[in-house]
Amino acid sequence: MFGQVLFSGLALGSIYGLVALGFTVIFKATDVFNFAQGMFVVLGAYLAVTAISLLGLPFPLAILFLVIASALVGAVIHILLIQPLSGRPMLSVIMLTIALSIVLRSVIELTYGPQGRTLSTPLPMGVLVVGDVRMSYLHLWAALVSWLCMAIFGAFFRFTSVGLLMRATADGHEAAVVSGVNVNAMNRVAWGIGTTLAAIGGLFLGQLQIASPELETIGLLALPAVVIGGMQSIPGAIIGGLLVGVIEQMASAYISPKSSDIVIYLLLLVILMVRPWGLFGQRELGRV
Amino acid sequence: MKLQLKTKLTLAVATGLLALGAIAQETPADGVYRDRIDWGLLMDMSGPTSASQAIWVNGFQDYMRRVNEGGGINGRKINVLAEDNRFNAATDKIAYEKLVGQTPVIAISGMGTSASQVALSPTIRAGKVPIVGTYTATKALSEPVSPMVYNGFCGYKQMAQAGVGYYADALKLRAPKVVTVAIESAGGKEYHDYIAEAVAKLGGTAHHVTMKVTAVDVTPQVLEIMNLKPDFITIYGVSNSAILTMKALAQYGMKTPAFGITYLGAPAIFQAMGPQAGANYNFISCFTPGGADQSAGNREMSAYADRIGRNGMQADINYVSGWITGQMAAEAIARLGANPTRARLVESLSKGFTVDSKGLAAPIVYTPTNNTGPVVFKLFGYDYGTNKFKAFGDYADYAKYTR
Repeated sequence: MFGQVLFSGLALGSIYGLVALGFTVIFKATDVFNFAQGMFVVLGAYLAVTAISLLGLPFPLAILFLVIASALVGAVIHILLIQPLSGRPMLSVIMLTIALSIVLRSVIELTYGPQGRTLSTPLPMGVLVVGDVRMSYLHLWAALVSWLCMAIFGAFFRFTSVGLLMRATADGHEAAVVSGVNVNAMNRVAWGIGTTLAAIGGLFLGQLQIASPELETIGLLALPAVVIGGMQSIPGAIIGGLLVGVIEQMASAYISPKSSDIVIYLLLLVILMVRPWGLFGQRELGRV
Repeated sequence: MKLQLKTKLTLAVATGLLALGAIAQETPADGVYRDRIDWGLLMDMSGPTSASQAIWVNGFQDYMRRVNEGGGINGRKINVLAEDNRFNAATDKIAYEKLVGQTPVIAISGMGTSASQVALSPTIRAGKVPIVGTYTATKALSEPVSPMVYNGFCGYKQMAQAGVGYYADALKLRAPKVVTVAIESAGGKEYHDYIAEAVAKLGGTAHHVTMKVTAVDVTPQVLEIMNLKPDFITIYGVSNSAILTMKALAQYGMKTPAFGITYLGAPAIFQAMGPQAGANYNFISCFTPGGADQSAGNREMSAYADRIGRNGMQADINYVSGWITGQMAAEAIARLGANPTRARLVESLSKGFTVDSKGLAAPIVYTPTNNTGPVVFKLFGYDYGTNKFKAFGDYADYAKYTR
């Protein structure tokens, strides 16, 4: 049982990690604690429904549609809503992301109706048996794609010039501006990436469940993941996501389903009290 | 030409009498006007339960739309004032007060949030606005019987009795071993208690396995079910509870039959499960989904929903329930004749009445001492070949389980 529960926790945690990574990218670049990240997950699920079920696109084209559309949404949100609030207090921006989340939910409900939508993809639905562990192909795919996305974006940040500029912007806005970096363009890219990562998470969550606005609650499990892993740390977001997934499944199996929330948020509280910069974050030191 | 004083007086009296006559037919405080009657709905049209409750609202509104297209009731159109509770008892209280006093209605239907029912129960029972056709039946609101409350949805107790009875007979079980998979909630516990009671009557045992309402993976629950080796499973919760459970059971090669509560009978649930997992899943319901049979009521409802472009929504059990509650409301108003008031409505309802939906449900009988509402159930499955629901037997076959 332990191996089975561990595997399901890691598979689930990979999706949380993907969504958390998107959250971290946005936070690192723009200092925005994005409460709309859960709705970006929902958006991804509905974009997939639109591409696959409504437009009838072949699966590879549907994925391309999902990636481009979600990146555009992220960039447009930055241009229209986040950029004008640049320099305003953190609270205003947080309130804006909460409002954005509510508006997105209403728009989705108005557009697609209140009923959940079935999301069917050509991804294999069978089961792979390894020893005593039964792994559904869908979970395996979700985990593999999540890791692939994490690797791609990791390489993007590390090895490309845009990634380098984004890291420079994240490390110091003023220094980046002085060096001639187009900070707004970098932030737009960050919002596009953050939204896309959440949308890919939505693609899998929508297929594991059904596409419905309730996926937001699951998407918001990325928040404890990033706090535990470290708000500024990309590896921290991934590990935080995995931890949340494994804790959720272990607590559900060995204590009770409801206890998983208690254990996750208890860990979050302990981290905030003992190591507020997270397991993999860096302590910020200020000169007096 | 100058009118004589006597003529003037006669004209004035006649005008006054006409005005009084008009006023006599118009009681705005009760939601009754010369050309319309206001009827209230309190339901979650946004929030976590909106996926089912908003569809119920559509069913109710469509029935009234059809009534209005036919000229209304005794010359008055029915104006439906639907308030969104947002799955929030506090919002519900404000909306209830609004429908009682600010934009008064003759009666209210729905009340989909059980927490609101519990909170508002004393106010409703002591008030003047009847709740005609509740969406969920809590003990707090419906027991003891009150002339102010009429349940309109399938009750958990009868769901448990009918489901357990049917499966025990169909599988020829003497002492069935049953697992209730339920989300962690008061309703889930109540449903399991009813299941345990029904199973105990047959000498069997029932186990309760819980899951989170927001679960994405139910591996721990399915491993527990595998250890328990039940004869059959029953599922209580939201759409995902059924989808995840059945998918995970299929993943582990388990073909244990399962039935869900009425709310888990939407076509989207079966489609999301897929044919392999959905083959072992049915749901118990006191209403027949649109298209599942050719009864007169089903044909009428389905044809109307198609005509106004509901795009297959009538196959959703919530739509059917809303439609039948609309019929219940329309017939209640019609019985009042030309001068309906809240007081006369309450008096009329309290004497008892029957809702005959022409096959969409078994006749629903309300008596002065019993407002339970629908009590006769049957099981439905999904035919993946035709993408339509299929019924297992007739309502009459199941009456013995809930008698």
